[in-house]
Amino acid sequence: MARKKATPTFWGYRRLEGPPGGRNHLAIVSGMDNSNPIVRRIGSLVRDATPVNTSFGRALMGEDETQHWRVMGHTAAHPNVGAAIIVSLEPKSANAIAEVAARTSPWMPIEAVNIQEIGGTLSTTSHVVELATKLSAHLASAKRVRCELGELTIGAECGGSDTTSGVISNPVTGMVADRVVEAGGSVIFSETLEIVGAEHLLARRAADRKTARKIIDSAKSAVDYAESIGVDFIGSNPAPDNIRGGLSSIEEKSLGAIKKAGSHPIVEVVGVGERPSKKGTIFADAPCAGVENISSLAASGAQAIVFSTGIGNPIGHPISPTIKVTGNPRTARSMAENIDVDISGVMEGTMRIDEARDLLEKELIAVMSGKLTTSELLGETELTVSRAALSL
Amino acid sequence: MSRALVMHPKDNVATVLEDVSSEQSVKIEGGVETITLSATESIPFGHKIALRKIRSNAKVLKYGEVIGTATQEIPAGCHVHVHNIKSTRG
Repeated sequence: MARKKATPTFWGYRRLEGPPGGRNHLAIVSGMDNSNPIVRRIGSLVRDATPVNTSFGRALMGEDETQHWRVMGHTAAHPNVGAAIIVSLEPKSANAIAEVAARTSPWMPIEAVNIQEIGGTLSTTSHVVELATKLSAHLASAKRVRCELGELTIGAECGGSDTTSGVISNPVTGMVADRVVEAGGSVIFSETLEIVGAEHLLARRAADRKTARKIIDSAKSAVDYAESIGVDFIGSNPAPDNIRGGLSSIEEKSLGAIKKAGSHPIVEVVGVGERPSKKGTIFADAPCAGVENISSLAASGAQAIVFSTGIGNPIGHPISPTIKVTGNPRTARSMAENIDVDISGVMEGTMRIDEARDLLEKELIAVMSGKLTTSELLGETELTVSRAALSL
Repeated sequence: MSRALVMHPKDNVATVLEDVSSEQSVKIEGGVETITLSATESIPFGHKIALRKIRSNAKVLKYGEVIGTATQEIPAGCHVHVHNIKSTRG
């Protein structure tokens, strides 16, 4: 009889409440694009401060404004953050983002600063450096303790996809996602346009009818929006280069993409950057583009992101360490400094698929225990907030 | 010998991991057991090979799910692609 392997543990930062962190960032969070330069400057002035820039933020209305505050607030309140300073142009946005953050992580020291009130670039810089230096000293004494795999929520993302993504790196990511879910944790996957064609199959995996309905509705609104701007998404997929690569139908293309989320029932559908209320496999209705997607996954609480890539992509999230995994031997060689887990041996016949799964799981544990990812080492990190009205 | 990966025990196709020429033996891995099949025609890298005979109108299965319907009978070892299967989505 096969002996069951012990569930692995990682060394993380225990919080007064909520899930543990794999990092203990002092996050300097920009409230809007015009505050990015000050935030970047603080990052270069204060040891251990992590600048978190944003896109847009000014003059947003309705759902766009709510979504922006939600994503930035949830990013500030991320389990990998030990303390946060929100810097924005004016008080309304600074306070709104700080309120979302405080509601999400009541234990966390959070400061809201606005440039207009403090008065200009130099005074604001000096004020935030002072705040950040104090908080930095406070964070420096934190210690890592043993945490359970089931305390993890991971994000699953695929970008720069090719044939190897659908048959190697996405299925292997899905196997690790399954292990996290079986241990009591969660996986969040999204990229709504990429489920189109297989949404009827995905809906069958929903834990209840309401969730099934939401999956179908997410796909339908993406397709309807594409149609409203003159794009026949279903008719134009698989695209000619997909067909040359061997994909024969839109179902096949989408099934390869959703393989990264594993095989467990889907318990909940959330919007861009929303925090799930349940544990298990979660679908986030969020756009496909890499930076937008990882920004949404991290805001939804993913403590780490597994980024499955075929032809390669260097980018990662500033707060949620982003683990690049590839099954493409050429990418593993040509973009070696951007790849965290090379499972191209599966392609070449030197690695079994279960060995690839164990390798990726081991890396996830190591990264959550403090090992830096390639994107963290190289500073290849970025964040952008999807526009509710304009983005797909 | 070239290799192909099967994604799910129910599948009737596998993805070839290198260019396969006609009559070449293909080792099919990832299934319940590793089997060897002879390709009846050339199949490019990343494309699919039929693991057994697929009747006309029968479902083509990959990832354990339906990826399309056969538009003609596809013998084992044949190239499975847009010329002999079609999407079930309109």
